[in-house]
Amino acid sequence: MKPCLTRRALLPAAAAAVLVSCQKAAPTPFAGTSPVAVLKAKSYQEDLVAHILTGIFLCGLQVKDKRVVLKPNLVEFDAATSINTDVALVAAALHAFRSLGASSVTIAEGPGHRRDTLGLADEAGYWKGVRNFEDNFVDLNRDDVSPIKNFAGQDQFFFPNTVLAADLIVSMPKMKTHHWAGTTLSMKNFFGLVPGAVYGWPKNTLHYIGIAESIVAINRQFRQTFAIVDGIVGMEGNGPIQGTPKTANVLVFGKDLVAVDATCCRIMGIDPAKIEYLTMSADFGATSEAQIQQRGENPAAVRTDFQLMQQYQSLRLA
Amino acid sequence: MAQGYLRPRLEALRRHQNPDGGWGYFPGKRSWLEPTAYALLALQKDSESPAWQKGWRLLRSWQRDDGAWQPNGHVPEAHWATALAITLHCANKIHDAAFRKGVDWLVDTSGSETRLFARLFAMVSESPTGHDLKFRGWPWRPGATAWIEPTAHTLVALKKATKQISGSELSRRIVLGEGLILRRRCSDGGWNYGAKAALGIELPSYPETTALALLGLQGSREADLPPALRHAHHLWQDSRSRWSRAWLAISLRSFGAALPEEPESQQPTHDLILTALEALATPEGGHRYFRPDGVTA
Repeated sequence: MKPCLTRRALLPAAAAAVLVSCQKAAPTPFAGTSPVAVLKAKSYQEDLVAHILTGIFLCGLQVKDKRVVLKPNLVEFDAATSINTDVALVAAALHAFRSLGASSVTIAEGPGHRRDTLGLADEAGYWKGVRNFEDNFVDLNRDDVSPIKNFAGQDQFFFPNTVLAADLIVSMPKMKTHHWAGTTLSMKNFFGLVPGAVYGWPKNTLHYIGIAESIVAINRQFRQTFAIVDGIVGMEGNGPIQGTPKTANVLVFGKDLVAVDATCCRIMGIDPAKIEYLTMSADFGATSEAQIQQRGENPAAVRTDFQLMQQYQSLRLA
Repeated sequence: MAQGYLRPRLEALRRHQNPDGGWGYFPGKRSWLEPTAYALLALQKDSESPAWQKGWRLLRSWQRDDGAWQPNGHVPEAHWATALAITLHCANKIHDAAFRKGVDWLVDTSGSETRLFARLFAMVSESPTGHDLKFRGWPWRPGATAWIEPTAHTLVALKKATKQISGSELSRRIVLGEGLILRRRCSDGGWNYGAKAALGIELPSYPETTALALLGLQGSREADLPPALRHAHHLWQDSRSRWSRAWLAISLRSFGAALPEEPESQQPTHDLILTALEALATPEGGHRYFRPDGVTA
C-alpha cells in the first residue's frame, strides 16, 4: 500500500523539521577567553621587530621549531594609497619569527585579481624590502595543491600545500574597510590562501559560497594561527582598494583571529556585532569584550573612527 | 633574431621539464596544464622530439570524459585551460575526436551569470556589477562567472578551431564572447580581470589583461581596436612587470606591431610560465600561435 501523507500529517512533521534545523543552526557560543595585544606604533621606521616580539610575548605564542607562513595582504599597487601590508612590517616579522627559533619562515600570498604576484610584490616594494625575497616567497595561487573534504558545502576543496603543511599561519592584513564585507582584517585576509590556479582570478567560487560564509569556513579550517594587523596606516572609505589612507598608529596581535578582528573593529569605530562574518564565528572565537583579554593599549583609548561608506553607516560603534 | 634572449629561455624550459613530461609553475613542482601548454607552444620547434611528445601525451591524458581538460593530474575538475589545450592542438594541426570534444565543451560552457535563473534575478534586481548578461563569456571553472582572461583564451582557441569545425552555435559564442569583452572595457581604454566598475566607481585596467582582451578580439567586426592598441603600446612602454610586458608583446606582435626586443642581458626567472611567455613574445617566438588562422596582422 502506498503511504498516504495528508496535509494534516505533514504540518507537524514540517514543524519538527524546522525546529530541528533551528536547533542545528545555533551552535554553542565560544566559552573561553582570548588574549589580544594592541601596541602603539607611530611609523614604519620604528623598531618593528621589537614591537612584534612584544606582541608575540603578550599573547603567549610559542614559535620554536614551527614551520611558519607569513601571509601579508598584497592586492593591487597604487602609490597614492595604502592597499598592501607594509613591507617593513613583513620584513620585521620574518626576522622576529626566525629569531624565536621557527624551523622555517615563508612569506606566502595569492592575490585575488592579479596573476603577476611577483610583479605586484615588486611594485609594493617587497623585493627591495625583504632580502632574497624570491627565495623566501611562495605564490599561493600557483603552489601545488591538495584536497580537503567537506569544505563549505563542497565535497572537496583544494588548498596550497605550503599552507596545509604549516604549523602556524600568521595573518598580516592591512586594517581596512571593505565595500562588500564591511571590514577586511585577519580573517578575510585568508582569501589569499585559496589557489587561483584552481579557482581563478578573482576566486569567484568564494563569492558563490558567500563572502561571510567563505571567511568563516576558511578560518574554521586553519586553526593554528596568529595575527599581526598593520594598523599603522590603514584604509578607510571605499576599501579594500579605492579607499583613502587612514593613520591609526597601532599594531594588533592575537592567536584568536575572531578576537583580533573584533578588537580591530572597536579600534576602527565599528561595532563587531554588526559584522556578519564575526557573528557567524561566535562559536569558535571571542567577540565580546568580556571574552577578550586586552593587553597593551586599551582599544577604546586608541579608537580612531574609520570613515564608512554610506551603506555601512549603521555599523558605527556607539 | 636575438638568440641571446630566446635561447636561454628555451634551454630553461627543456631543463625544467618534469620526468612525467609536463611542467610545473616553478621548477621541481608538479606538472600543471597551464605551464605545460605554454611550454609546449614555446618549444613547438621541438615537436618531433621524444621529450616534447612526452609532454604532449601527458597533456592529452588530462582530458576528461566530458571533453574538458583538468588543470593537472590531481584536480579532477573541468578547467578554463581547456582553451589552451585546443590552441595547442591547432598549433599542431591535430583535429581529432579529442579536439572536437574539447571544442564542444567550450561551446557548451558559459559564465553562470547567464543561466536562466540568474538572468531572471537580474531582471528584478540591480546588478552590483552592472554586467550586461546578454553577452556570454567563459569562467575560470564551471559554475562561476565569466571573466576576461578565460574568455580571451577561449576566443583565441575557438577562432582557430573555426577552420576545422563550423557551426552556428560556435560562431554565435564567438560573437557573444567578443561582446562581453567589449562591454567590460575600463574607462581608461584597457581591461582588468573583468569589472570596469565596483559600486559605481570606475576601476583601472591592467596591462596583462588588456593584452589578453586584445588577443581575444582579433578579427572582431564590432571592435574599434586602434585606440586600444595604442593604449596597449603605452602600457608596454610604461610597464616594469615582465609578465605584463611579455603578454603585451605577444598581443601587439600578433597585431603586427614592431617592438624593440628585450635586452639579451635579462635572464629567465624561475617562473616557468613567464619563461615560456617571454620566449613566445620574441619576434620569431611563436606569438602567431595566438593569432586565429585567416586573421591578418
